[in-house]
Formats: sequence, C-alpha cells, structure tokens
Amino acid sequence: MAKTMEELMELIDRIPDEPAQNGEFILPELMAIAIAHEVRNDDIVFAGTGLPMVGIMAANMLNAPNAVLIYEAGICDGKTMHVPMSVSDQRAANMSSCLGGLVDTFGYYLQQGFVTLGFLGGAAIDKYGGVNVTSIGDYYAPAHRFTGSGGNADIGTMAKRTAFIILQEKRRFLERNDYTTTPGWWCWDFKTREWKPKKEVWKGTPFADCGPVAVVTNMAVYRFDENGIMYLETYHPGLTVEKVKDNCGFDLNVSVVKGETRRPTYRELFVVREFVDPELIFLPQKMEYPPEIKAIIEG
Amino acid sequence: MARIRGKAKKAEIITLEEAVKKYMHDGIQCAFSGFTGFNRNPMAFAWETVRQGIKDIHVIDRHGSNCTWLLNTVGAIKIYETDWMGWGEMAGKLDINMERIYKAGKMILEDYSHGSMAMRFLAGAIGAPFIPYYAPLGSDLYNPDYDALGRAGLRNGKNPRIAKKKFIQIEEPFFGDGEVILLPAARPELAIIHVAQVGEKGTARWRGIGTIDKEIAFACDKVVITAEEIVPEAEMRKEPEANQIPFFTVDAIVEVPWGGFPSGVPFYYDYDAPFMREMDKVSRNEEDLKKWLDEWVFSPKSWEDFIVKLGAKRLLDLKADSTTGYSTRMRRGKNPAPRMKMPLSVARSGY
Repeated sequence: MAKTMEELMELIDRIPDEPAQNGEFILPELMAIAIAHEVRNDDIVFAGTGLPMVGIMAANMLNAPNAVLIYEAGICDGKTMHVPMSVSDQRAANMSSCLGGLVDTFGYYLQQGFVTLGFLGGAAIDKYGGVNVTSIGDYYAPAHRFTGSGGNADIGTMAKRTAFIILQEKRRFLERNDYTTTPGWWCWDFKTREWKPKKEVWKGTPFADCGPVAVVTNMAVYRFDENGIMYLETYHPGLTVEKVKDNCGFDLNVSVVKGETRRPTYRELFVVREFVDPELIFLPQKMEYPPEIKAIIEG
Repeated sequence: MARIRGKAKKAEIITLEEAVKKYMHDGIQCAFSGFTGFNRNPMAFAWETVRQGIKDIHVIDRHGSNCTWLLNTVGAIKIYETDWMGWGEMAGKLDINMERIYKAGKMILEDYSHGSMAMRFLAGAIGAPFIPYYAPLGSDLYNPDYDALGRAGLRNGKNPRIAKKKFIQIEEPFFGDGEVILLPAARPELAIIHVAQVGEKGTARWRGIGTIDKEIAFACDKVVITAEEIVPEAEMRKEPEANQIPFFTVDAIVEVPWGGFPSGVPFYYDYDAPFMREMDKVSRNEEDLKKWLDEWVFSPKSWEDFIVKLGAKRLLDLKADSTTGYSTRMRRGKNPAPRMKMPLSVARSGY
C-alpha cells in the first residue's frame, strides 16, 4: 500500500545523506539541488518562474528551511505544499505571511534592500554575468525575440547576490551580449557611452555591490572573480573541463576548477522526488531508487 | 495633460457584449488584471473583444496573459508596451503569434522591466506624473537608442497617453544617492479587472495575490469590473479591509462566472494547465490555430456556451478547495497531486 505523505516525511532522517552514484539521478535533479545549496537559512530570496522556483523550494525543504521566499506577484514567505507553475500560483501563496502585489515585492522588499538572493533564468549570459532575455541580433529586427525582462532586470541588479540558471551552449555563453537586459559586473554608462564596472555606473546608489555570484548550467557551476569575470568552479559528473570549454563562447578561466560538481545525496533526491515535484511537472521522470534505499522506503 | 477626476462614478451593471461595445474601441489604450496566464485574467472580456473585431489596441501592461495571447491570434494588438511578452510561464512561455507579428513589423514593442512597469502604474494611480526607480541602470532597457515609440514618432505629444520620453536619467538631487531613472506614469484609458466579488455599487474584492490591479484601477480613466459574482453591497461592508477597489472608480460591472478561465481565480477555480498547453501547441501552426479559434472563440453562442462546452468533468476538477484556494484534483503533470496536510518545511522546521 502506498505510504501517506506524513509517513514519507518520517522517513527523511533515515535516508542516508550520502552522495548518490552516477546513473542514480538525472541532470535536472542535480541542478535543482545545486541551486538549493546557494540558499542560506537567513536569506530573503526572490525567485523567477521555472527551475529557480524548484530550486528554492528544495532549499526550503532541505538546507534552508527558514529562508524567506518572495514571489514577484506579491507573495511574502510562501510555504508551498505543491509545486507552483507560476509566481502568481495560489500554491506559492500557501501559508504566506503577507500577500500584496508588485509594488510590495519590487518596491517595499526589493528596492528597499531586503532581498539578499535573487534566483533567475536567462537566454544568454556574458562573461561578466550580464544576462539577455530580450533579443538576439538587431534589437529592432531580431533573429530571435524572447519574452523580455519580466523581473529579471530588477531582481538581478538589486538583490544582494544573484544566481542564474542557464542552458549552456556556445552561442549562449558570450564575450558580450547582443542586448543586455540585466547588467552584470560590467555594463554601459549611457550618459558617457562607456562600458564600465557596475560599481561605477551604480556608484552612490544602495546597489553598487549587488550582482551575480553564481551560474548553474546543465554542464557546470561558475563563480565570479574580484574583477567580476566568470570562472569555472565545478563541472557536472561525467563531463570534463575540455567539454565545458568547448561549450563556452569566451575564453573561460578554468585555472581554479575544484573538480566535479557535488552529487546530490539520497536524502536530497528523496525530498525532491517525493515532496518538491512528485507530480512530475518540472522533472521529466522519476528514477528507481537503488535497492538499499528502496528497502528503507518500503520497509 | 493633468487629469481631474471630478465626482464619484455611478457603476452600471451590464452584459459582457454591452461592456465591450461601450468601453472598447479601435486604437484604445488599455490594461488587463491578473498575473500572466495564471491568475485572474479578464479572459471573457478579451474573448468578446476578439469576437467584436476590435483592433489596433495599445496594450500597456506588465506582462502578457491569456488575454494578450488571444488578441495576438487575430493581430488585434498594434502597440505593446510591457516588460514580459510571454503569457503562460510553465504552460507556454513565448507567445508565438506575438513573435511572428512583431518580426513581420506589424507591432510596436516597447520594453520595460517588471518593477519599472509596476512603478509606472503606481505613479499613474497616485496622480504623480513620474516616479524615480533605480533598476536597471546600465541595461539596454534604458539605452537611448532603444525607444520603440520614439522611433515610430509617437512621442510627439499628440497622444496624451504616450509619454514624451521613455525615461530620464538624473543624478538623485535630494540625498546624493547616485544616478536614478525617472519613469513616466501609466495613464491608460481603460482598466479591465477580473475579481471574485463585486458589490452592486462597485466595491470589489479578490483573494490571493494582488499583482498591480489596484494601481491599474486608479491609473486608468475608466474601469470595467468583471466578476465571478455580484453580491449585495452590504455584504462587502462587513469586512471592508478585504476590499481593494472603491466603488467610485468603477464605471461598469459585468457578472461573468468562470470569466477568468483558463486562468485561475483563487478560492473559485484553478488554472487549466492542459488547456493552456493546447493553446500553446495550436499557436505553432496556422491551420491548427484557425481551427481552435473557430471551435473556441467564434462558434460558441456566448461565454456561458463556451464554459458549458468545457464539460462538467473539467469544471469539477478545476473547482478550488475551500481551504487552499486551489484544486488538488486537477492533473497538472504526469502524476496526481499528493495529499498534503502541512508543508514539509513547516512540519520539520516551523517558520
């Protein structure tokens, strides 16, 4: 007989918190859990739709249970039971502390400086962490037109730290974007028409030190050096530094790479599969657990 | 030109057909309520707008929705001033028709960011001509060369609803807090707001998130409320703190049950993800789209007829639980929703 959610909850501490073997998890699970580990327990997190939302939900259930989750449609500290498909989903508003609107989230929370971590997607990224979600090619006659900023540009420039989740391809990892929706550590000063560090363009504002700190892709995890330039931190299991470099459009610094990305643990996988997305909305499939884990769950 | 509101409005209760006929017209600048395709879209109103063949609409809004998706299927939007041109988030992100129309040069697209559009509506709502906002300095959103309305010659002051400048960047003059962007107020002609309940006098209420619907209602010259139900105004006065829209801003009231479908109305019904995925699918092929429009927009005799066509099973599955405000019977993914009593984070770690 299938176990109730309460019975499954009681099993969590009995599932070993040890790294799973390659082949026992899928890439979206690895990514969601890698994202989750960017969240600290005292963070106020502002996340966009999609994998970022899955990642912070996982964080809230694993390593950062007291992190406050802000969703841009007006939700403050939502405690979700079912994975939301939108940042306006009533599921994301479950047991929230306050409900308001965009003026609350972008004004009272974000511009007021409360948000410590932003979680966002992107279509392309430059080596300074500047993100394009607007268009490829000529702005007025684009080869591809994307959705445009949404909250990306606001959150990505005014949250203390921002992490991006991006599909990695050579044409998406660029020296310079065709269009910069969300400036990274370097951006245009349109007054002087110069390309400058963000710290100078935003000098005197409360947000000069805010910006990207991590990028998680389907291939690797990246961080930024003191000059605001992206470097490789870890590559996902089964890949190599060479393979990652081949899929990067700029000359990537790989000199301080730490090795493979941390594999998710059995306990983390259990939580993601049974509690974050058991409906299989974001995750494409549910893998079989290895026999020793299965024995605990079915036992 | 600055606006004086004058006396309180007296809301009229009319039908969907009458409301579109009276308040929509070719070339109108308008804004819709809700959030993307998921929450409180005034879909019935947009649907009737398409049926009445209104065109050349200037949508000024903070994102696309089922409404803009539908208007784009027939090319009814001429100017789209917004920050997110998608519509269905995880059920269909890009609006394929919008992209096609835009690439064919049949639409003017003006880009802002989500926060900046919210601030523009806030300025419009409080009667301020502009509002300062920091984000995002250094973004191409504020590249002086990327001003689509200016490029089209529409910032010449002839249309009082189009600001003479997209933005102005200044040095913050009061505290010395760096450079800041001044954004023009949003001042559309018509707001269309879908709510849960409205009193017969016009006092309106929703549950769940507010997005910028209160700001929209105050920023626009005219307000049409479409509601799941009209209730006695006296009922609305029992818990006034739960109301968001005061009656004196409202011009017209339309009672239209399931008027937000396929978006959700918290505590009434959930969004219909499979229906939205189908909309996304048909938009990828002109033949399929034409068939879909014939079947779902032009064939039903009325919105009620449209809802009846969905079938009782679908409506039962979408009906919201009275405690959570959403449905746990609706199949959104490959598996049914689990029966939860408490969020895991709260059960294990409290608040």
